[in-house]
Amino acid sequence: MPTVILLDVSLSMSRPVPTTDTTETHTRFTLATAAINTFLDYLCIHAKLEYVTLVTFSSVYEVAVPFTREFDNIRVKLPLLDDGDKTCIETALHGVNQLILNEWGYQTPVQIILITDGSSGVGAIGRNRIIQALPLPPTYPGKIHVLPIVSPHDSSLQHAMPLYQKIVDLACNSSNNSNGNITRGAIYSPDQLNVPGVVAAMTRLCEQHYQEFWCTLKCGQLETRVQLFPAPQPASHEGLSASYTLSSQLHVIGFLQQQDLGTPIAISKHLVIPQAQIGSNTTPRENYGSKTPTKEGSSTEGTSTEDDSSDPSKVSNFCVLLHGALKVEGMSAIVQLGSDWWGTLSAWCEVSRARRSCLLLSILRPGASAAPWLGPLDQLGPVEENTTSTDTFPVRSWRSYSGGGSGCAWARPHALLADVQKVLRHARKLPDKTQHLYKELNRLRRAAISLGFAELLTCVGSALERECTALPTSAPPECALQLAHAAAALRDPRTALDIKHTLQPLATNFTVTSMSH
Amino acid sequence: MFPTNHKTIFVLDHTPYFGISSDNPIDFDVAKSRGPGYVPLPPVCKSLWTCSVEAAVEYCRIVWDLFPEGKLVRFVVSDSSAHILNTWATTQQNITHILNGLCLVGPVRRGAGGDVVGLCAAIEGLAESSPTQATRPPPERHFQNRGRIICITSARDDDSIRSLAEIALNTLVQQNKKASTPQPPTTGDATTSSQNLVVHYCHLVIINVTPEKADTRVNNQPVTEMGGGLMSVEVIVCRASALASLLGRLVLPHYKLAITTVTGIPMKEEQNASSSANYDVEIIHSAEAHAGLRATQTAQEATESVVLRWWTPRGAEGGAGGCNGPLWRVTPADVASRPSACLVNFLLNGRSVTLEVPRKGGGRSASHVLAAQGGELWIGALGGRTPYDDPPALSEGAGGRVTDYRIKEFGALMQQNKLHPLRGAGSNARSRARLQRHTTYWPLTISSTLIFNLGSVMEPLTRLVVQESLTEEEVDSCRGVLLSLLGMESRHEFPSAQLPSNLRGKSSGRREEQWRQVWGELEALIRAHSASPAHRALLRTLLECRSHNNHGAEGDSSRATVIRATTDSPLSPVGAGNGNGSSDVWAPRNVLDALLGAPRPPRRPDFAGRMAAGSRVATLYPHLQQDVEAPH
Repeated sequence: MPTVILLDVSLSMSRPVPTTDTTETHTRFTLATAAINTFLDYLCIHAKLEYVTLVTFSSVYEVAVPFTREFDNIRVKLPLLDDGDKTCIETALHGVNQLILNEWGYQTPVQIILITDGSSGVGAIGRNRIIQALPLPPTYPGKIHVLPIVSPHDSSLQHAMPLYQKIVDLACNSSNNSNGNITRGAIYSPDQLNVPGVVAAMTRLCEQHYQEFWCTLKCGQLETRVQLFPAPQPASHEGLSASYTLSSQLHVIGFLQQQDLGTPIAISKHLVIPQAQIGSNTTPRENYGSKTPTKEGSSTEGTSTEDDSSDPSKVSNFCVLLHGALKVEGMSAIVQLGSDWWGTLSAWCEVSRARRSCLLLSILRPGASAAPWLGPLDQLGPVEENTTSTDTFPVRSWRSYSGGGSGCAWARPHALLADVQKVLRHARKLPDKTQHLYKELNRLRRAAISLGFAELLTCVGSALERECTALPTSAPPECALQLAHAAAALRDPRTALDIKHTLQPLATNFTVTSMSH
Repeated sequence: MFPTNHKTIFVLDHTPYFGISSDNPIDFDVAKSRGPGYVPLPPVCKSLWTCSVEAAVEYCRIVWDLFPEGKLVRFVVSDSSAHILNTWATTQQNITHILNGLCLVGPVRRGAGGDVVGLCAAIEGLAESSPTQATRPPPERHFQNRGRIICITSARDDDSIRSLAEIALNTLVQQNKKASTPQPPTTGDATTSSQNLVVHYCHLVIINVTPEKADTRVNNQPVTEMGGGLMSVEVIVCRASALASLLGRLVLPHYKLAITTVTGIPMKEEQNASSSANYDVEIIHSAEAHAGLRATQTAQEATESVVLRWWTPRGAEGGAGGCNGPLWRVTPADVASRPSACLVNFLLNGRSVTLEVPRKGGGRSASHVLAAQGGELWIGALGGRTPYDDPPALSEGAGGRVTDYRIKEFGALMQQNKLHPLRGAGSNARSRARLQRHTTYWPLTISSTLIFNLGSVMEPLTRLVVQESLTEEEVDSCRGVLLSLLGMESRHEFPSAQLPSNLRGKSSGRREEQWRQVWGELEALIRAHSASPAHRALLRTLLECRSHNNHGAEGDSSRATVIRATTDSPLSPVGAGNGNGSSDVWAPRNVLDALLGAPRPPRRPDFAGRMAAGSRVATLYPHLQQDVEAPH
């Protein structure tokens, strides 16, 4: 999740921190700097791909460093920040909302770390006014953590606490948190107002909310350890009876052509980053070759044999093979993520960087029906070589987008009109369209009966009679007979409204006699 | 856990009053008159019944198009008794079932009756558990059971509406009282699962329908709570002709839906194929699809309807693949209209369309994408960065600099392990078991294997051995592969001679070592599969072959016999091993016996001259004469 460090630079942040140690003097601001550096250090090790921005605020807000993975840009900027005037949280949050919507849209979950001076700066009435004015919940999914740089026993903290609690609570109430898979943020108060205190608080925050996610990707006997980025969140929402947590082993169950798979609805997507196999050389199955004379004896690579084991990029990894094969074959892998939960693995390529491709895991909605066109996901299986499967993708749904297929979407007059005109068009083209005429008439009847629309049948009956009178003299006699027959059948009280009855064309031998003339 | 829209029940008034005309004539003679003497048709009016049925059915169509499961609708037709057209069962949740039921109910007939009996039946219906509610085990039955009843009726005045609502509330209270009293302990588990649920909340929508010109003394009533939050009642007065559009509007808040107007869709006219006119189509989908647009809008803009412009697709770009976020199902608001049908067919044929926000100042920004998948239509929102963009290059990560992955072979493995829609449980497990077998011995790179690079020489062994079981013939053909390898080795051929030319250079090394690797890998491969008896038989053969060639100096003699026994080339000497009884004390053996049987004790090799002579008398010193002549 991209992170906003929202740093208070109001004048109160430059207050010196009382200390017994005379060699070093700290202000609240330098403590905040230490906390931010701790945070960036943690990310460097555990979440290098995280995007972070530094926004400063007092009565106005300013984007000091836009979203970046170059954490050093933030470190460099920290000592250069100017002091502001007074703490004004609601303005700052307004700005952050705008920044996030412009940059990430409304679908990407975001974390905000609010580092402030631990004082609301106003009295009880003013504090409640701020709470009223908070631009929360945001329209994007996210959570806010608060890190007040203040001694735990400071009375101003007690006073500001309700405000912070409100911010934390409101932030995760997003209307757009439809997946419900965002846990809430928290307030991380340092135990004591000094560097170790704030560093400890920040470390606690990192460990709770910036945990990297490791798991094992298995495909039969082949396996490799991978990191998923961003770390997946447990899935739980309205339609689900339970909360789903990703298992630590992802099992490939098989493969599908990309066009069969389509793009099922994913609740989140994650990069799959292979990790160096630790001790993989001890498993002969994976690295048989390294023990054989083939490599040792090869004169060209003989010198590089030593590096092979030390440089992880030169040790073969299943992930890279899988990515290459998925890309070449245009296929995706279906992965079991847990019980009753599936995902897909595909080679993914950013449009703007066509040559840099990577393995992407799409986590589907829990449940076997996450991709209806694949059928129930728990019933995907292999076809034995000697049997031919009749079922193919896509598994069609019964939906037809034409009012249930029975053509009774007559709520709008034009639809009814079109159906009646169709009958009359066929009626004018007798005898060629006799079969069509009766087919349409029966369809019309069926719809009219289910809607209790007997008036329509009477009307169509008269219309057919009128067509009969308007027939040109040259028309074959069969036309008049068929039209009269159909009109009578539509008005026959015994048969017209009986759903089990089907109108049949008048059995004639006129075609034969008229041809013999 | 179960929202109010999980269960909806329509109560349709089927009393004689609904047989009267809606007084909203529909004229069929829209075409220009066709000369004199052409009698115009009298316009047709739908009855109130027809109007209410088609409006309710259209409401259902939208719900079921967008929510194939989880959103249930039932119909109760009320006259002298309550006709229940369907249950909560999934098989009865479709329009065909409803229409068939309506056929059986038939048009409005004379006789007494009213809407009350249907309303009471509907309240009972809410207490019945839906299939998903029934799957909850009793200890978890603390969920809220909520529902909505839409009652289409026609009342005399506000008082009769009020009394209708009161009857509904009383029925509900009585029923809840019955449901909450614990069952007598004598009843078994079967009855407890079918026990009625307590209804925690009911949203009753009463729609009072009148013909076009009739006066009504019923007034609209906003949502009012009754019975302490147990029920909320809403009264809407509506002309029969406007009923369909009313329900089309009501369905939106009931299911959190929104309408997008797709504007400027170019369509060719049948009559005038050279030019195309632009059409608009309204589509309905989850309101969440608009969240992105709304997020950046002001309160004023957010109340306006969403109009998105068709962005004619160019080439292969666009498509739902470009959409990183969720997709939502889409259904046209007016299924019967021609432009809707055109758009639906366009999408169902596999094309996708990007939609853009119309901007006054110019400049384009794609906002949504429309596409079909599996015969259904979907909308997805575009835009926004993804937190995983700009990924680290795979080539710099673990295993990234290895260049000789067996990608083609893994592709073949993927093709063999393609998934298909099957029926029945355990399909996933079968598929995983198969993958497990196929990967038991699977070197990742070309340089780490020899046997998989040998191609036709190893066929069909490498293909067959991964099977769950082997037939007699398959075992035999695998043995054939082993024996031909043995033959190659005995002829002092390099295994690498069989490699494609581009690989040959890489696997240099001494011949014996190459062969040792081949046999070692083969053993690893077959041993990994030695679960079935046939596989174990194959393994025994292989071990025989290995034992014959892995013995260095002491076994030279026995090796010679095996070589003779197994080589079948016309160039090989006709010798002791090959059925020449006079020179061999051992009974003749065929190749298979020689391999499977106990190894014969080492014996002195036969005299080379006799071997060369075959059945004739061997000549001593055959080259003596040549040697003498040669120096000349």
